[in-house]
Formats: sequence, structure tokens, C-alpha cells
Amino acid sequence: MTTQPAEHNPVINQGSMADTPDGQLPVGLTLPDGEALLSVRNLKKVYQTDGGGIEAVRNLTFDLPKGELTCLVGPSGSGKTTLLKAISGLLEPTAGEVKLGGKLVTSPPKNMAVVFQEYGRSLYPWMRVRENVELPLKVQGMDKAQRDKVVDDALEAVGLDHVPRSYPWQLSGGMQQRVAIARAVAYQPEVLLMDEPFAAVDAQTRADLEDLVRRVWRQLGVTILFVTHDIDESVYLGSRVVILSSSPTVIQQDIKIDLPDERDQLETRSSQRFSELRHHVYEQIQLAKEGFRPDAAKAQA
Amino acid sequence: MTERDPSKGPAPRDDGAVDRQRQSRDLHRLEHGGGDSFPAGYRVAGLDESTRPDPGAPAVSTAQRGATGRKTSTGQSQAVRQRRRTWANRLLGLVGILLFLGIWELLPLLGIVDARYMPPASAAIADLIVKFGDSVFWIAVWDTLRAWAIGMVIAVVSATVLGFIIGSSNFLRKFTNSTIEFMRPVPSVALIPLAVLIFGVGIESALLLIVYASFWQVLIQVLYGVADVDAVAMDTAKSYGLGPMNRIRYVIFPTALPYLMTGVRLAAAVALILAITAQLIIGTPGLGAEIARAQSGGAYTSMYSLVLATGMMGVLINLVTRAVERSVLSWHTSVRSEVK
Amino acid sequence: MRFLKDFFHIIALPALLIVAWIVWSSQSTSFFVPTLEQMSNAFSSTWTWNRMQSDVFPSVARLIAGLVLSIVIGIVVGLLVGSFRWLRQLMEPTMEFFRAIPPTVLIPVFMLLIGIGDDMKIAVIVLGAVWPILLNTIEGVRSMDEVLSDTSHTYRIDGIARIRYLILPSAMPQIMAGIRQSLSIALILMVISEMFASSAGLGYTIIQFQRSFAIPEMWSGIVVLGLIGVIMSFIFQIVERSVLKWYHGQREMENAG
Repeated sequence: MTTQPAEHNPVINQGSMADTPDGQLPVGLTLPDGEALLSVRNLKKVYQTDGGGIEAVRNLTFDLPKGELTCLVGPSGSGKTTLLKAISGLLEPTAGEVKLGGKLVTSPPKNMAVVFQEYGRSLYPWMRVRENVELPLKVQGMDKAQRDKVVDDALEAVGLDHVPRSYPWQLSGGMQQRVAIARAVAYQPEVLLMDEPFAAVDAQTRADLEDLVRRVWRQLGVTILFVTHDIDESVYLGSRVVILSSSPTVIQQDIKIDLPDERDQLETRSSQRFSELRHHVYEQIQLAKEGFRPDAAKAQA
Repeated sequence: MTERDPSKGPAPRDDGAVDRQRQSRDLHRLEHGGGDSFPAGYRVAGLDESTRPDPGAPAVSTAQRGATGRKTSTGQSQAVRQRRRTWANRLLGLVGILLFLGIWELLPLLGIVDARYMPPASAAIADLIVKFGDSVFWIAVWDTLRAWAIGMVIAVVSATVLGFIIGSSNFLRKFTNSTIEFMRPVPSVALIPLAVLIFGVGIESALLLIVYASFWQVLIQVLYGVADVDAVAMDTAKSYGLGPMNRIRYVIFPTALPYLMTGVRLAAAVALILAITAQLIIGTPGLGAEIARAQSGGAYTSMYSLVLATGMMGVLINLVTRAVERSVLSWHTSVRSEVK
Repeated sequence: MRFLKDFFHIIALPALLIVAWIVWSSQSTSFFVPTLEQMSNAFSSTWTWNRMQSDVFPSVARLIAGLVLSIVIGIVVGLLVGSFRWLRQLMEPTMEFFRAIPPTVLIPVFMLLIGIGDDMKIAVIVLGAVWPILLNTIEGVRSMDEVLSDTSHTYRIDGIARIRYLILPSAMPQIMAGIRQSLSIALILMVISEMFASSAGLGYTIIQFQRSFAIPEMWSGIVVLGLIGVIMSFIFQIVERSVLKWYHGQREMENAG
């Protein structure tokens, strides 16, 4: 890309252009057939309204390798939630496809869990914490003994083993989001989607929760797609950051985060490399907000 | 950890940016099915709905949410939905009504029910149209509406005054609570024999029942409304030296108004039920008495057309009270949001 | 001390009113105001076990039967109609019309169609009381929180489990609100159907006392009816509080925050 100062040197996974049904566009990292766990191809979503169609997502193409923690970051209104709903099978894309483990996603797949931003609205307020975590397993038909163990482990993993009898609304925001994470963990998915999960909690809780996600990811080896609008968070959490353009969304850049695996809120965040990466992502986001279009820019060049 | 929120970046500079902002707002609305970002952890309460609030849990209707300064999470999506409610959807409702009338028409024609006791829909509607040209019918309508209106005025005024008096005193509220809770569920129709004994078949009989039934609806709502007054707003008013009358006028009344309107709407429906019932049982003049007469006189088609007429009256009263509520409250919220 | 104060608040005004009545009635010569003695005599002579069996219990049984049917029909049909947009749009105007009809006018209609037996009285109660429950259930299903619905989809909570664990509990606050409205409608219909067309039952008995100018007995009947209303509302409150414990707790939390 022309706009990036040389000293940043981020490792760009694949910002290259490719032929898509929507013309020459940059695409994210793609893997050979069969190697990706989750693969998104030429995904497009146009909402139909009275005043004509609103193109939210123009074209997205990228792959998630198994076991990676990828952060999707983009300016507000860049269609992040649309993308996530399409990936999780809640929303039918206008064009393109999403495949999980080689199978086309048309409805929420069995081996996928989603953690939403609105923790207060994604937990069942009429169930206690434990019941909330247990319900998906119960509906699945897992037997009681095994269920108990899985739920206990999940609650312990998120540090909630002391409040199983509380109702979610009796807990603080951060604790509620922990319940939602515990529920996702207990569901034992292969892919975990997180839609700006910490956007609504205070800064200190957020730091704790970020570390919790890293820990869960490393312990369980689950593949995580983490959507956020927070640049620091994306760089701190991810092993890879995919930067989205403003709407109608295409991929602006796909970079590798070459920070050490052991991350620490103080050390990592104050390291030289973190600062460089952060700077780079910040610039890209600013570009996106100002209306820079990778597709248009390339056409001019 | 600086610059945590990239969305607070440079202000939009050109028209393109404004356009994008609007676009992103549209997108956000679509993604979330309406409503802009509400406070985290705020759940769309099951009762957060303007059309049918719960009389016993008043703090949750949309209007009241607005008045207490809480963001209504369904408010905007509701508006969007309303706009999208096309003619096609209304047509479907019309089809439903026609379907119902069709079944009614067919039941007696096919002999499933005795046509003497249940004449086809067309006959009842034809009879109703004939009645529209008959002064006896309109006198009955007028009698019913008059009893309804007088009863409503008495009930609303007395309940509002009493509600504000009781509600603004902690002692009075506690002192009267048990009596109110005990009197409220007493069915007003239990008073029918008393009304007949004292007032005979005069309009006062109907009024006694109407007032008793609607009074509690309004009183309870006003009490809830007064109890909902924000303590900080009250302290502020006191600290600026507002006297009791001014506090009622500028702090308590605006807060309680949406509750009052809910009470009035509920009372309006109840008052109509009691007006018609009094006429039916006691014989106070009006549509109810006409129905009883038609039934005992064997004029069954006429009875059905009168039942239809009472239903129309009910729908009309509903629509009018809802419209009044909406217009009063829209004025109210616009004034309030300006003050803020 | 605190308990005594609460007790005073509960008992003071009712006691005051009763004393006022006793004093007034003992001095008044009004035909309509029975004295304490007349009232207590009327109570013990009127509301005997026999009378309870012949007039009170059957009335209450019809009331309960009508209510239970209304609740079951209202919730089942409400879940069905609420789950399909087109069905809702098709039926809503018609149902709104039925709800707007003052339910007591259905009594003469049903008398014609099914006579004056128990089934007529129960049918009238159901046809009057079902609408608030039905329409509130539809509204409750419709106003389902989208995030909660999405969450349930992603965890593949579908079919019966979705109704049981998601739709029903989430609509429950509105369903209970509908039931509360239905209680008073059902009670009115029980009384009126007996006053209009019956030779037994609570409503009929009270009207008979009035027609024979048995004033203390009539008053005692009014009190019995009132008591039934009060007991019903009391039971409902207990049930409501336990069923919607989460809802009230959550609301308190929100209001405090």
C-alpha cells in the first residue's frame, strides 16, 4: 500500500488484489481448499428497504486457519455485525458463501458459538447463571452427569464458580459477559465468534476479559473470530488483524500480529512493536473513515 | 491506553462524510432491527409496548419510559415498522374480517346453527344499516355515550385529585394502601342490587357502576405516577424554593401525566363495559337495554346488529382515547426533551 | 416497633370505616343501612353450608373453569398466531373487534345459541376473558428480544425447546398482565350471567334479595362477592410474584441503576 510509512513494516498477510464478481478488490488471507476451518468467499449483503437497496457489505474474502485468534477491526458502521450474522448463519447473504469445515453455512452450525455485545440481552433473565450455561447442552441431549462437569469446568474457567445460583441481572456487566463466555465455552465449539463483546464494559474489566479470552483460546485451542472497533484491543488480542473499509465493506488490509504469544497488559502494550502495529492499524482506520476505498484507489493507480 | 475510541476521530469535513455517516446510521439500524445504541445491559422489557400496557405494571409502557427519561428501545424500531406497514398488510387484516364474516354467513346457511337464533352476517349488517337511519337507535347510542362520558368525567376528576393528594403524602399513602387494595378488586357489578334499590332504572344507577369501576383504574395509575417522581428532581425543585403547589405543577404532574393517560385509557374501556352492562341488567336506557329488549322480544337479527354496534363503539372509543393519549404525550415529551 | 407501625397502617383506616358505619347505622333510621346486629344475623342465617353448596361453589367452579380454559386457549392460540406474521396480520383486526365488544352483551347471544346451562355461562366467561390473554400473548411473542432470539438460534435451541425455554418465559410478563385483566372480566361475567339468566348462583341470589327487599342479606351478598374478588386478586398476586420473580428483580435492578 502506498500510504504506509516504511518504518512500520507490518507483515501483510495478503493485501493483494484479486478478481471478484465485484471487480478487482483486495482480499484477505486465503488458504488452499480444505485447509481453512472457516472460509468466506465473495460475501455480499444488500439490505432491501423502501428507499432502495443499502449495500452494507460489498465483497469479503478471507479464511480462518484452525486455532487462530483473528480480530476484525473497522470503523463504526462498517458492517461488522452484518458480517458476523452472515458467518453465523443468522442472516442470508445476498451473494457469496460461508463454509465451515468444508460445509456451506445456511443456518447456525452445530460447532459454532457466538458471544454478543449486548450481554444483558443475550442471557436468559429468567434462568440462573448455571442454567444459562447448561441450557444449550440440555437441549442437545447431553446426559446430566457429563453436563454438570462441563458446566462446572466452564464456570471455573471464566472465574465464576462462586455465583452459579445468581440471576444474570444481579451481576455486573463484566460478570454477565463472563457468563456468556462460559456458556460458549461449555458448548465446546470449534469456532467462537465474538461481536464487540467488551464494548460496553469499563476499561479495567475489559482488560481482565481480554486476558480471559487469550487464556481460554490458548487452553482450549478454539478458533476465534473477534470483532471490535477498538484498535488497541485488536492488536493486543489477535494473532492477525483484518481491517475493514467503511461501508459498503471490503477488506482494506489483512496483517499478521507478530507479538510474542505471552501477552501482558503492561508489557505488551508498552512494547515498541505493539506501538508500531497500533499506529499502523490506526492509520488504516483513519483512511477508511475518511472514505478511502481500496477498490477505487487501485483503479486509479 | 490513549485513543481507545477511534470513532471519536476527526469531524466529518465534506458532504461525502456526512453522507457516509447517515449511511452508517442506516446500516446500524438495519443490523439491529431499529433503535440506536441503547445503554449496555438494557434489555427490551417484555412490556415495553405502547399499545397494550399492563395496568398493574405501569412503569413500563413506552410512553412512561419516555417520560421517565429512559430510552425506549422499541420506540424507533416501532416507528420504522409502522412506516413499513404497507397497504398489503392492512389488506390482510381486512381479509381476516371478511373471512370471519364469511364463516358467520355460512354457519346458518349450511344449517350448522339454527338460522332463527343466528341469522347470517349479511342480515345483521343490513339490519344495522337500517338502524343507522332510525332515531331510536341514535337515541340509544346517545344515552350510552352520555352515561359513559359523565361517568368518566366524575371518575377521572375525583381519582386524579385524590391520587395527587394521597400520593404526595407518605403517611396518606401507607394509611390508605390496605383499603385501596381491598376495595379495588371488588367487582363493580356487585353494586347492581344497591344501585337498583337506590336509583331505580335512572342513569344514576349506571353512573354508580361506571364511576366505581373506572375510579380505581385511574387512581392506581396516578398513585404509581406520583410515586415515580424522581427524587433528585424533587430535591432540586425544593432547593430552588418551589412551594408545594409549584412542585405539583412543574415536577409531579409532568411525571404522572403519562400514567394518568394510561389510567384514562383503561378506564374508558371499563366504563363502556359497565355502561352497557347496567343497561342490559337494570334497564337503564341505552344500547344494552335495546339488546335485552330485542332478545326477549325475539328480534334476534336486531340483537346481533346491536351487538355489532356496541363492538364498533368499543373500537371507536379505543381509537379516540389512544389518539388523545398519543397527542397529549407527544406534546409532553417534546416539551420535556426541550427542557433537558 | 416497625412491625407495629406497619400493622397500624394496615388496620387503621378499615377499622375507622367500620366504626363509622357502626355508629352511623345505630343512629340512622335509613332503610338501606343495616346495623351491625342485622348484618351479623344476616350473615349467619344466609351463608350457611347449604347455601354455599347450592349457590356459591357452583358459581366459583364455573368461574375457575372459564378462567382455566381462557388461559389455556389464550396462550396456545397466542403462541401460534404470534409466531406467524401473516397470521397475526390476518387475525388482529378481527380479534381487536371482539375484544372491544363489551363482553356482557354476549350473554343474551349465547343464551339463544346454547341455552342457560353451565356450558353457556362458561362459554361466556371464556369468550369474554380470552381476549386480553390472547392479544397479550401475541404481543409478548412479537416483542421478543432480537439478541436473545439470535442467541438461541446460534445455540440451536429450536422447536419445542425454543417455545419452552425462550418464547414462553419471555412472553410471560405480558401473559400475566393479560390474565390480570381477564380475572376481573371473568368475575363480572360470572355475576351477570347469573343475574341475567339463572335460577341459582351468587348473582341470582343477590338479585333475589334485592327484589324481596332483604337489605341486610343483600349487603351480605355484596360483601361475599367482594371477598371473592379480593381472594382472587390475592391468589393471583402470589402466583404472579413467584412466576415473574426474575422480571420484578430485573426491573428493580434497572430502576436502582
